[in-house]
Amino acid sequence: MDALLRDHLLTLVVFVPAAGAALLLLFPRSAPAAARNVALAVSILDLALSLPLWTRFSVVSEGFQFREKVDWIPQLGISYSVGLDGISLLLVLLTTVLTPVALLFSLSHVEKEVRGYSVAFLVLETGMLGSLVALDLALFYVFWEVMLVPMYFIIGIWGGPRRIYASMKFFLFTMAGSLLMFLAILFLAIRYHAVTGVWSFALDDLYRMTFTGRTETLLFLAFALAFAIKVPVFPLHTWLPDAHTEAPTAGSIILAGVLLKLGVYGYLRFALPLFPDAAMRYAPWLGVLGVIGVVYGALVAYAQHDMKRLVAYSSVSHLGLVVIGVGAFTTMSLSGSILQMINHGLSTGALFLLVGVLYERRHTRELDAYGGVAAVVPVTTALFLIATLSSIGLPGLNGFVGEFTILLGTWLSPHRWWTYAAATGVILSAIYMLTLVQRVFWNPFAHEENRELTDVRPSEFIAASVLVVLMVWVGTRPNDLLDRIRPAVETLQKNVASKQIASVKP
Amino acid sequence: MNESFVRFTHADLVAIAPEIALVATGCLILLVEAFAPRLRRWFATLALAGVAVSLYFLLHAPIGTTFGGRYETSSLTQLVGLFLGGAAVLAILVAKPYLERTGEERGEFYALLLWGHVGVSLMTRGLDLLIVFIGLETLSLAFYVLAGIFRRISASSEAALKYFLTGAFGSAFTLYGVALLFGASGGTRIEELSSPGLAESNAVAFGLLLLLVGFGFKMSLAPFHAWAPDVYQGMPTPAVAYLSVAPKGAAVLVLFRVFGAVFEHGMPDRFRTAIAALAILSMTLGNVVALAQRDAKRLLAYSGIAQMGYVTIALAVFGRDALAAVLVYFFAYLVSNAGAFAAVSALYRDETKPHPVGLLAGAGRRAPFASAVLALCLFSLAGIPATAGFIGKFFLFKAALEQGFYALALIGVLNSLVSIGYYLKVVYILYMRDPVESDPPPPLAPADRLALALCAAGILALGIFPSSLWEIARHAAATLPLISP
Repeated sequence: MDALLRDHLLTLVVFVPAAGAALLLLFPRSAPAAARNVALAVSILDLALSLPLWTRFSVVSEGFQFREKVDWIPQLGISYSVGLDGISLLLVLLTTVLTPVALLFSLSHVEKEVRGYSVAFLVLETGMLGSLVALDLALFYVFWEVMLVPMYFIIGIWGGPRRIYASMKFFLFTMAGSLLMFLAILFLAIRYHAVTGVWSFALDDLYRMTFTGRTETLLFLAFALAFAIKVPVFPLHTWLPDAHTEAPTAGSIILAGVLLKLGVYGYLRFALPLFPDAAMRYAPWLGVLGVIGVVYGALVAYAQHDMKRLVAYSSVSHLGLVVIGVGAFTTMSLSGSILQMINHGLSTGALFLLVGVLYERRHTRELDAYGGVAAVVPVTTALFLIATLSSIGLPGLNGFVGEFTILLGTWLSPHRWWTYAAATGVILSAIYMLTLVQRVFWNPFAHEENRELTDVRPSEFIAASVLVVLMVWVGTRPNDLLDRIRPAVETLQKNVASKQIASVKP
Repeated sequence: MNESFVRFTHADLVAIAPEIALVATGCLILLVEAFAPRLRRWFATLALAGVAVSLYFLLHAPIGTTFGGRYETSSLTQLVGLFLGGAAVLAILVAKPYLERTGEERGEFYALLLWGHVGVSLMTRGLDLLIVFIGLETLSLAFYVLAGIFRRISASSEAALKYFLTGAFGSAFTLYGVALLFGASGGTRIEELSSPGLAESNAVAFGLLLLLVGFGFKMSLAPFHAWAPDVYQGMPTPAVAYLSVAPKGAAVLVLFRVFGAVFEHGMPDRFRTAIAALAILSMTLGNVVALAQRDAKRLLAYSGIAQMGYVTIALAVFGRDALAAVLVYFFAYLVSNAGAFAAVSALYRDETKPHPVGLLAGAGRRAPFASAVLALCLFSLAGIPATAGFIGKFFLFKAALEQGFYALALIGVLNSLVSIGYYLKVVYILYMRDPVESDPPPPLAPADRLALALCAAGILALGIFPSSLWEIARHAAATLPLISP
């Protein structure tokens, strides 16, 4: 057992949820309570298993840790190869935290087909974790696509009135990007084989390949498109508000909290280091799209009447900021982007959760249906306010650190003007988020039926306060995270720089 | 030259024992039906035993050629034999509860299925175009009858007539092609097609095109596909489960054999272009038309047309890796497509009526196991990772990209995006739409449950651990004298 925990910890973390899902299938469909509790227990177990990843992660060592490698399709050099660096470590922990939070919230709110729901979430967790730790492109692609199926069901079965449209759109959009990436992955491996005579899909090997000209551009675009759709970067974002609005609360938490980040993660892990020249050539475009996303997302969010849609568009805006940080490509802006992904996961996760709390009681998300409910639901109001302040970047909470690092890092880059635009986004986010709080919680008490609202239940309170505690922790001790991010970012920059030098040579 | 056909040696008999076992089982079933009709419920078991014995003989037959170099036993034919046997086993398992439900449990269904199976087997093992043709006709005759076996249902008679007319048309093309090749090469053995100079001959080119058309009919490759939706719709679903899988695999193998013999030094570009055009047409037409289908069996028919388009990419790519990819692809197609038909058979109560997809609404709750397997099969057909279908496409597109067929691979991938539209539509109806029917679907018979479980296990096993099958397929593909450019 000790040896298993020592040598295969990462594999355990990835596959415990899937094993839990398989276990759940043995339960009768008529025992929803059992399915619920088992799923929650499995996700908490997975969280517990993932904590040693944090404590045993070495801050000083470069490269990937907790590595494991087993042959999978040896004829083609495809292996089950996993590992963690600072970037994936944090996202893995975010995933293992948010999944139990989402399931905890669902405890009292999902009545329909509980077993299927629980299975879908656990499979989704394995898919997300697998994509984050995979160091083999074929393995990554498998996990990446496997995520789609449970999310499709979560939106499509347990979602709102327009769930069918939303789930289909989500699936087709994501699939359109990933199919092109699939061809690009195959092409990469075939080229590697042509050059070296050996088959390999391993990231370490493929990093060493250099491409030039049109080939590199096309390959880069195939990867970048898949990830840009996932983020989503500005013109490709239209699936997101639909998916978020229709998804059940827990689905939105995971979607905003983790799934979107996988786009940025994929860009940093694959698109950028594999095709640095093209990535650098397109970085200004990326930054510009990020700027558009920040401003556009914020303006559209301000115009929303539906709380969930508002939070969904705020995600477009916040992830625009992350994209700007990636485009600026300084050590600081990259670190800020990675930190901000975690922050966004925590704050938006909490916002979706608390919107869900209100929705489950009133069955409407219209801003105008509320007003002045702070007096009725004081605890919800307090939690919501903290999440809002975290989201708009109040110093002392997590959002501030991330935004500030990105802005500073971008200022240091050649694209200084992006900082102005990004800063507007920060201001705009304060406007629309505070308006939201004001219209829902503070304004004069408007609707009598809101008198009946009940405050958070214990399970909801625990779920939300876990996130609040983490917000405060990240806000006050950001260096715990940044220390782990920085080596990974520096390695990334070093790899990119060395490859660029290599490709300059004739 | 003719002597070897007349006088059987012991080796010949051993080589053809698998087929003898099948024919004998078919006859036995008919005899039992005539003399002891009370044993009817053992027919399926008997048929399964026949297939099992046949597979045993196949796997234990000595490697080599018999009947004067006209009949082959090799790792390739053994692997393909396993694929065909798998299709037959699934069809028989699905047939038992299906025939019980419809009250048509008679021996001739199993007998005809087994005889058709013999025909397909002959096609894959014959090294002589005449044997291939005889196999094709044996298959066709058996299935013409199977298509019309429910005389009371008009759709079934219509299916039989349509299948017979188009099938006869296809056979005529094939035979004319064989005749031209015979005229050009002076023999009917496939090996003789590789004499020098033949690859440039116009008669051979024309003969090959006719063969392509003839087998295109059997593969339901666009534009020779028009029969498939109508026939699938009227034919008993278990027979469709077999017909939509096994003969297609056999036809592709024959095409690989013949093209491989003629184009020893690589396929000329005009053929490549023609085959690539067929592939693109079939993929695109199949996928786009499938989007508009409302009947489950018609939808699967068009999906099959599209799937054969993907397979045809491999034929255009040509070479050993392409053949190995096709072999893997067909195993994936077997578990996914036969599984989908098995689930359709289990999910619809009234066989005499059409099978509108809308009737499946809410089946995810009322018939959870069959629906889950159907969804899994559809995801596999769509090529979602961790399923067999993804592995099939993975090797196929890899072979295409490796030989520089970028456009074909791109069109193939875009097509699979289109296909997601209708595969997901069925999943949506299964799980996300409220039921329109108040009665639950028929309870799942044990044989259905076994067939579905086998398919699901196959899809996941092949999807997660594909390396051993790929190794076997590559080994098997190496027995054909194909050029790997």
